[in-house]
Amino acid sequence: MKKKKNRLAKSESMWGYILVAPTIIGLLVLNFYPFIDTLKLSFAKTLPFGLYKMQGIDNYVKMFSDPEFWKATWNTIYFCILTVPLGIFLALVVAIMLNAKIKGRTAFRAIFFLPMIVAPAAVAMVWKWMFNTEYGIINTIIGHNVNWVTDPKIIMITCAIVAIWSAIGYDAVLLLSGLQNISKSYYEAASLDGATKLQQFFHITLPMVSPTLFVVMITRLMASLKVYDLIYMIVEEANPVINDAQSLMYLFYRESFIAGNKGLGSAIVIWTVLLIGIVTIVQFWGQKKWVNYEV
Amino acid sequence: MKSLKKIIAVCLIGIMTFCMCACGNSSSKDGKTHLTFQIWDVAQKKGMQAVCDAYTKKHPDVSIEVQVTSWTEYWTKLEAAATSNKMPDIFWMHTNEILKYADYGKLEDLSDLYDDEDKDYYKKHFSDISLKNSQGSNGHMYGIPKDKDTVCLVYNKEMFDEAGVKYPDESWTWDDLTEASEKIHKKTGKYGYMAYGDDQLGYWNFVYQKGGYILTDDKEKGGFDNKATKDAMKFYINLQKEDWCPDQNYFSETSPGTAFFSEEGAMFFEGNWNLLAELDNYPEMVGKWDVAVLPKCPDPVKGDGRATISNGLSYATSKTGKNKKIAKDFLKFLGSEEGQRIQGESGAAIPAYEGLESTWMNVFKKYDYVLDVQKCVDMFDYGVQSINNKYRSVWKTKVSEELLRIYSGKVSVDKGLKNMNEYINTAKDE
Amino acid sequence: MKSLEKSKKRRTIGIYAFFAIGSIIMIFPFVWMFLTSFKTVAESMQIPPDILPKSWSLDSFKDALNSLPFAALYKNTILLIFWRVVCAVVFSSMAGYAFAKLKFKGKELLFGIVLVQMMLPSQIFIIPQYQMLAKVGLTNTVFALVFPGIVSAFGTFFLRQAYMGIPDEISEAAYLDGCNQWQTFTKVMVPLTTSSMSALAIFTAVFAYGDLMWPLIANTDLNMMTLSSGLATLRGQFSTNFPVLMAGSLLAMIPMIILYLIFQKQLIEGVAMTGGK
Repeated sequence: MKKKKNRLAKSESMWGYILVAPTIIGLLVLNFYPFIDTLKLSFAKTLPFGLYKMQGIDNYVKMFSDPEFWKATWNTIYFCILTVPLGIFLALVVAIMLNAKIKGRTAFRAIFFLPMIVAPAAVAMVWKWMFNTEYGIINTIIGHNVNWVTDPKIIMITCAIVAIWSAIGYDAVLLLSGLQNISKSYYEAASLDGATKLQQFFHITLPMVSPTLFVVMITRLMASLKVYDLIYMIVEEANPVINDAQSLMYLFYRESFIAGNKGLGSAIVIWTVLLIGIVTIVQFWGQKKWVNYEV
Repeated sequence: MKSLKKIIAVCLIGIMTFCMCACGNSSSKDGKTHLTFQIWDVAQKKGMQAVCDAYTKKHPDVSIEVQVTSWTEYWTKLEAAATSNKMPDIFWMHTNEILKYADYGKLEDLSDLYDDEDKDYYKKHFSDISLKNSQGSNGHMYGIPKDKDTVCLVYNKEMFDEAGVKYPDESWTWDDLTEASEKIHKKTGKYGYMAYGDDQLGYWNFVYQKGGYILTDDKEKGGFDNKATKDAMKFYINLQKEDWCPDQNYFSETSPGTAFFSEEGAMFFEGNWNLLAELDNYPEMVGKWDVAVLPKCPDPVKGDGRATISNGLSYATSKTGKNKKIAKDFLKFLGSEEGQRIQGESGAAIPAYEGLESTWMNVFKKYDYVLDVQKCVDMFDYGVQSINNKYRSVWKTKVSEELLRIYSGKVSVDKGLKNMNEYINTAKDE
Repeated sequence: MKSLEKSKKRRTIGIYAFFAIGSIIMIFPFVWMFLTSFKTVAESMQIPPDILPKSWSLDSFKDALNSLPFAALYKNTILLIFWRVVCAVVFSSMAGYAFAKLKFKGKELLFGIVLVQMMLPSQIFIIPQYQMLAKVGLTNTVFALVFPGIVSAFGTFFLRQAYMGIPDEISEAAYLDGCNQWQTFTKVMVPLTTSSMSALAIFTAVFAYGDLMWPLIANTDLNMMTLSSGLATLRGQFSTNFPVLMAGSLLAMIPMIILYLIFQKQLIEGVAMTGGK
């Protein structure tokens, strides 16, 4: 008996290795090795064509003493502050509305989801066009010439609007699935106890949907901290507000690929990964306080 | 269960086709040598294909494929390719980048390519500027001069007529430029000269007209501390303050070209290489606009006040390419009279080969209204080589960012120019 | 009773009003894209803008079609999506199952690799991955497009969650019926996760479609690019000529919109799955 068990365990672990092998090998080659390489380059002075020499922490010293870098860090955090809470709040509102029993809800759901099927490049271009100061339709509608794309104080808000518009339907659909899992009986019981709609929302809906809310929040935060494509498409190199709009990954792109300084670019990436790591840990630690898993 | 088997079957078939796609590309079952030819301008693809066809007709054992990527990705991609020594067989080189590639030994030295024909081939058939645009820091030829260009003044004839202003001509100075702009703006409400904060299509021209310089002759130091340079920069930057000139914010949303061809502004500086595409892309504007030489500086510190930035691309090949021998033979053809003529006739660009300018000019005759492109060619007499040194990639973005800060008033002009010079002077220490 | 009915009615009206405004905001950019693409450049830059184009000019579409090989872009995009989806689903199912149900040494460490990958920004992989491809001479192929997505950390994580939700008794029962490990996995476990697999497939497809940087770098040839990267090329060429850019965007969107209209129910329900536990 013992022998058989042993053999079984052996076969189990063999299959375990076989099944994870493609994924693990793939990840090691495609992602882990480049990451280690980046880590190494962050401590090196890089020359064109992949040449480099190790030099210690110079890149980090340079990075931390560069106001442009701190500005980019702030821009990234600011972008998260603008998009994550408001984006998730709006998505939740849309989800709750979609959860109401009304005619045509599938159609509305489809409309809100529409941006997901459009190439982000196209989304950024059409919004940039609508936000055009002189010829844009948005300034015509509001009857006021706002420099949406060229005012350093407004540019992040502009990017945030586009980001929220793009993601709202996706997040709402996720949250909706969470809402639909809530059993009707809770609400009926609460109604009998005389709870108002608002009380029901805070005492039933919010706790019950919190696991999904957590998933949405984590993915949204990660995406926002890594934001690059959207800002790249809206704010070009020659735009005077580039310093007020560039995220960390945009700065990385410009340092590594345009200025040709891969060492400094790598240091920026390491910093970004640290930032993401810290935020993720805080999130997972914080979730114990508000996410309700007992259902 | 059946469905699973189906999935597996589909996967297997897929993997097989996958491999076939992958291998199909590099195989040469037809016995031909396949060359790849990398460029960044979609508008020139046809022209380049025509040159390739002419070559492969003579050499049926070779086939050449022209591939286009957009400008920004071209350089990211080419550097990555050079790093792993897998560059395309033939590719375009730009003045901004050639020194970096040549000095790091990535490009094949082509100095003696024509030695069997004529030891002085390059000198005889190409201008000094063309040669300099194709050389490494050591003065060797690392590219075959492909084309040459100038910057010209494009203007809207209707707006000039409406404001009663005479069209720009050789006698025009900076003062005429501003006066005309003023009048046109008053009369039509449109913008006058659109002073975009670009280097090649903007302030460089003014600096050299004034008698200043961006880099010293030995290319070691910056020239933004030179009096003439500073004066020209101040003149150019201050244009933005005029009512008739849009500010830089405007240009980051609407390029001067787009503004011009939607009849929002009367004048802008354009490279001659864009003119043909603009005729094609804006058919409703044909006949309403024309080109002129750049206005001259009325009070130059030295020289006669005339200058235009003249640049040129070159064709190059990798030092380590596996088809190097054939690639070099093709390069030789690209630099020959015939190869350059075909390029010119396709309208792609003005051939670098001296004496073939008319091939390019003739292309414009097919339009209802013939642009005065002779003006672009006339300006070669006082062309200034596009500014470049080994460390350009280090200082380029810093300098243009600083200029934007001057424009937006975050830094004073004097302080900003000083910083710009500092960036150039310290670039080599990075 | 009547007042209750009344308040209910009022609420319904409120919801409809909300959706009306929301729908306008969501749809308007597409309408504006459509209208702009039929204008001439001069028309597009009028102050104040005209809503409808004067002559419904097709020039912008011609320019876009002349500049981009749309047929090839569609083909590549479809192949890219297809292969990314197949690879992600197959490999992630295998790994997800192993991580959830099998015991083997070093499991936590290996799963750590999966988690770490999800935190890394994808931009840093571009150059090293390109160099690997270049070394074996596989740039400018469909394989090059698929390459970075052959395995999926997110997919592994996601399907692991799905397998965790399946009670152990089921695999034990299969075992007792004489299935070996491979059979238990393919015959019993995989069919139980079809809905999760389709959710992953949709998720993968959406992201493969939007991927901008990689196709631009991996494939030099315009004929080997995808719709997203083709649009970026168009922007490089036409800078701020918005009618052409809008026409190009529209051409890139049309097949997706049609597919979406047909499959939107399955698509959206698939996405809803990813938010589950």
